[in-house]
Amino acid sequence: MGCPCDEKELTDKQKYKQLKEFINESKNKKGYLIPVLHMAQVIFGFLPPEVQNFVAKEMNTPVSVVTGVVTFYSYFKIFPTGRHTITICLGTACYVRGAKKIMEELEKKLGIKIGETTEDKRFSMGVQRCLGACGLAPVIMIDKDVHGRISAQKLDKILELYK
Amino acid sequence: MYNLRAHVLLCYGGACISSNAGSVKETMEKAIAKAGLQNEVDVVTTGCMGTCELGPIIVIYPEGVFYQKVKPEDTEEIVQEHLLKGRVVKRLFYKKPKTEEMVEMFNNIDFFKLQRKIALRNCGIINPLEIEEYIAADGYMALGKVLTEMTPQQVIEEIKKSGLRGRGGAGFPTGLKWQFTAASPGKQKYVCCNADEGDPGAFMDRSILEGDPHSVMEAMMICGYAIGADQGYIYVRAEYPLAVERLSIAIEQAKKNELLGKNILGTDFNFDIEIRMGAGAFVCGEETALMRSIEGKRGEPRPKPPYPAQKGLFECPTVLNNVETFANIPFIILNGAGDFASVGTEKSRGTKVFALAGDINNTGLIEVPIGMPLGTIIYDIGGGIPNNKKLKAVQIGGPSGGCIPADHLNVKVDYESLQELGAIMGSGGLIVMDEDTCMVDISRYFMEFIQEESCGKCTPCREGTRIMLNILERICQGKGKMEDLDTLEELSRQIKQTSLCGLGQTAPNPILATLRYFRDEYIEHIRDKKCRAGVCAELVYSPCSNECPASVNVPGYLAYTKEGNFQKALEIHLKNNPFPAVCGRVCPHQCEAKCRRNDLDSAVSIRSVKRFMADSIDGYLKCFPEKQNSNGMKVAVIGSGPSGLSNAYFLTILGYEVTVFESEAKAGGMLTYAIPSYRLPKNIVKKEIQALSLYGVKIKTNTKIGKDITIDELRKQGFKAFYVAVGAGDSIMPPIEGIDGNNRVMSGLDFLYKINNNEKIFVGQEIVVIGGGNTAIDAARTARRMGADVTIVYRRTREEMPAEIEEIKEAENEGIKIQLLQNIKSVKSNSNNKLAVEFVNMRLAEFDKSGRRRPVEIETSSFVKEVSLLILAIGQKPSLDDLFDKELVKLNRDGTICCSSHKGETMSEDIFAGGDVVTGPSTVVEAIGQAQRAAEAIDKYLSGGQEEYPWNIMDAIEVKFDPEEEPVDYERAKNILLPVEKRDSYMEVEKTWDRVTACKEADRCLRCEFKKEEEGI
Repeated sequence: MGCPCDEKELTDKQKYKQLKEFINESKNKKGYLIPVLHMAQVIFGFLPPEVQNFVAKEMNTPVSVVTGVVTFYSYFKIFPTGRHTITICLGTACYVRGAKKIMEELEKKLGIKIGETTEDKRFSMGVQRCLGACGLAPVIMIDKDVHGRISAQKLDKILELYK
Repeated sequence: MYNLRAHVLLCYGGACISSNAGSVKETMEKAIAKAGLQNEVDVVTTGCMGTCELGPIIVIYPEGVFYQKVKPEDTEEIVQEHLLKGRVVKRLFYKKPKTEEMVEMFNNIDFFKLQRKIALRNCGIINPLEIEEYIAADGYMALGKVLTEMTPQQVIEEIKKSGLRGRGGAGFPTGLKWQFTAASPGKQKYVCCNADEGDPGAFMDRSILEGDPHSVMEAMMICGYAIGADQGYIYVRAEYPLAVERLSIAIEQAKKNELLGKNILGTDFNFDIEIRMGAGAFVCGEETALMRSIEGKRGEPRPKPPYPAQKGLFECPTVLNNVETFANIPFIILNGAGDFASVGTEKSRGTKVFALAGDINNTGLIEVPIGMPLGTIIYDIGGGIPNNKKLKAVQIGGPSGGCIPADHLNVKVDYESLQELGAIMGSGGLIVMDEDTCMVDISRYFMEFIQEESCGKCTPCREGTRIMLNILERICQGKGKMEDLDTLEELSRQIKQTSLCGLGQTAPNPILATLRYFRDEYIEHIRDKKCRAGVCAELVYSPCSNECPASVNVPGYLAYTKEGNFQKALEIHLKNNPFPAVCGRVCPHQCEAKCRRNDLDSAVSIRSVKRFMADSIDGYLKCFPEKQNSNGMKVAVIGSGPSGLSNAYFLTILGYEVTVFESEAKAGGMLTYAIPSYRLPKNIVKKEIQALSLYGVKIKTNTKIGKDITIDELRKQGFKAFYVAVGAGDSIMPPIEGIDGNNRVMSGLDFLYKINNNEKIFVGQEIVVIGGGNTAIDAARTARRMGADVTIVYRRTREEMPAEIEEIKEAENEGIKIQLLQNIKSVKSNSNNKLAVEFVNMRLAEFDKSGRRRPVEIETSSFVKEVSLLILAIGQKPSLDDLFDKELVKLNRDGTICCSSHKGETMSEDIFAGGDVVTGPSTVVEAIGQAQRAAEAIDKYLSGGQEEYPWNIMDAIEVKFDPEEEPVDYERAKNILLPVEKRDSYMEVEKTWDRVTACKEADRCLRCEFKKEEEGI
């Protein structure tokens, strides 16, 4: 799966084309709906009804099945997200080491709640039950970077890295 | 090809990468090139080495030198010193927690020494991105062996013989699973690998996939060969992008090397592997749900049977094993089932990988033989609990598991033993929780998790867990009811019995385990509206006050002290505790351990501020709370120690007429007769007792209840209720020969009593004190002041000594020797009027119920020493001999009074008890706290009780405070101690601060209570 996000912003038409190519490539593989949706989310950033309709049509699957899958898995988003996604780990180890305080501090700093996006579309914020980096608890993940041994004081410096 | 003379292994596990291992690699390679060593030294990036807390980690071979927390700027020095000049860089060595001892070699570190690596055999040793490295480590040899030398049935037999059980949690025998699938009819079969590691606190699958992906792939192929499958799927969480990336690379490399695909190794065996990413649904860790997810459907579980072995993925027979299970397979095939089965226990063979996390020094990944005692894992491998905190429980098995309290550290970690305790092995997440964890909040946390992750298909799981969550939330907010606990248990039972899949069937486990071991914490939340860990925000005024047994408003008196309003400060203190000057000297100040300022620099020196505040005011009378109207009822308090006097005081506030009866000539109990005056001058005790007398507490000394007057007689005199607080003044003597009636052997309390009573004692020159508690230290420091050589002998190690750390330190400063891991064995009087005391060396064995290691004698290690006086201070118990008829109160086995509630109610409705006579030897402030609660119970008994007692109301602090302002930035003020050379008398060792120091220190308070007030909670 090539990641197209480094490239320039694509037009919608190009995006659909890209998705269609991916679907055609993998049509013979069994049970390929979820990988297709992963790819669609990489391309579009989220999965609005239009994209779900498109996937359903191209894969010859009822829209209800596609929507059923999209809404079942928390990884799939149906609303647009910010440029950067902050994921606060609320796994047991992080929780025991004070992740709740970090969450409250971030909510205060960014003025948004879990599941929301800042007005300037810079950050979206969500929680995860364990990122598997328990050795560094508490941790947060911003996009694909894991930041470990977080404290409320360190947050400003870390957020600065993401414009 | 160059001849390499050294390998620099850099841990490139997920945790180390987060700790900047990437930059370390870059600068390391540059530094090596700069030194011209690029043809002699190779940098190898490996998978997780396990010690995540210490990352980034470098191990340099051939020596095996271990460097921790390496920063990019350290690499130049490592290259110049170690690689060029052969001199190790000591400052980057691993340091043992607590002792700070440095360890140079990788395999000398306890963390690694006790491990046995099978599943993780290549993690941290090879570069997972190079298939050649895996092959060089005997990789794909097992596959070669089965394809050329073994029949599928032989493979299955070998796995069965090994005793390998599923490492995902349930522990089903792997060989049987393969056999069932092999025997199922069907042309198409599948091999699935469950890498949907969703249990919070578990990251072993991630580390194996990132550190040794080929071993899992090889095992899947072996399985495919054994059951007749040609297609495998690895189902990985989307949250593990690095694992997906490395797996993809590994699959590509295997294909290139013709180890995947058609006609593998020239045989007619075909196998292909595809990665499928999860999408954030915990339930997909359940096997039937996982397979639906691979099929591209909603990941809802279905009822079993049929089992996956008959009807699995795409309705075909399927083996589904966990990552760690697979990682064991190549080892078993290559080394033989017997080798594998020789590790572990009878029923649980082999090793298990655990993820150590939470409140533990060495967090990270470990692999140990199954059956290792939990205590060994926590203390020897894990290095114990950080910041001198106490271990509370170990959560094991994630949301399907349970917690094991600290008194079960001896449990062998295997499938069966854990189940007996209400936990499960699970996937191996092992989360250590210290005293600051609230067990009710943890239950709420797990229920919230389950509630979010329940797929919603079956009602018991979907609705039942919601109801349970609501109840737990209520309890955490202090709105719980006692019957909630029964409801929780009943719901748990129903959800377990009626849920469709493993998620629901195990969901109540964490709650049941906490209800089993920590029921008292639930009860405290419900009944007393108290969260002892200070976690549940609605129940906590401030961490310090929450921790104080007498619930003194600490931020309150600190704030007024800061302002110079000492009278108001004292008023606030006296409301909850009438002994500020005493506690300002001898309180162990557990409040400071909870002070939030610890996160910033160090705790506010609360005790020293208190001491200044109390000493700055002579007469307390104007600061005592106003008495409620007299109700004319008489209460008798037996014993004039801190608990008795405080109880009398609290009842006086409520309008009772209280008389305290004391058998000794002076009031004060232990304050007067046990604590030495270099620590607590007698005029201070006198000052506070006098204040209480002036306030209205009557004290009758030289009156022994049961001898001079009986309880019945007092009843006839009109006393309506009794508070028994006679303390624990009987010394426990060890059952050894030669101490009875020997005038050179004394108990610690006896010794201190005589000194405090100005009796003459001959001590001689060589005194030995046996014991490690405060009485032992008090006796030793007192004896030292009499000019003797004093040695304290304690049977465990320093870490287990119950005495306060500051006291132990001062004892040593004063020249007292402390001999650890020794005990007394026998005593004989010898001819020159001394004692010949036989000692024996001890060692620490397994963990006992107190969560400490049990000391045992080392045979033939005894030695004899001449001693002029032997002081035994190994324990105390109450003495209630003549006090009252046995029918009046029930006693516990240790001689303490058995109370029916935490408020000191006993078997007789008019008799209440508190202090050491109930708890056994404890602190002054604990005794005061008990006196408070007993006062409430007595008032309830006599007058029906009040809605709120004065000491439970936290008055608003009318001192200006701006939460936006930065806290003052100076460090904690130091205590002023008398120089050691001047400590030859009983002069007080510690000095009271001056006004400026005290006010400045008080200003360091962060006012944690402030926000709450503003919000009106």
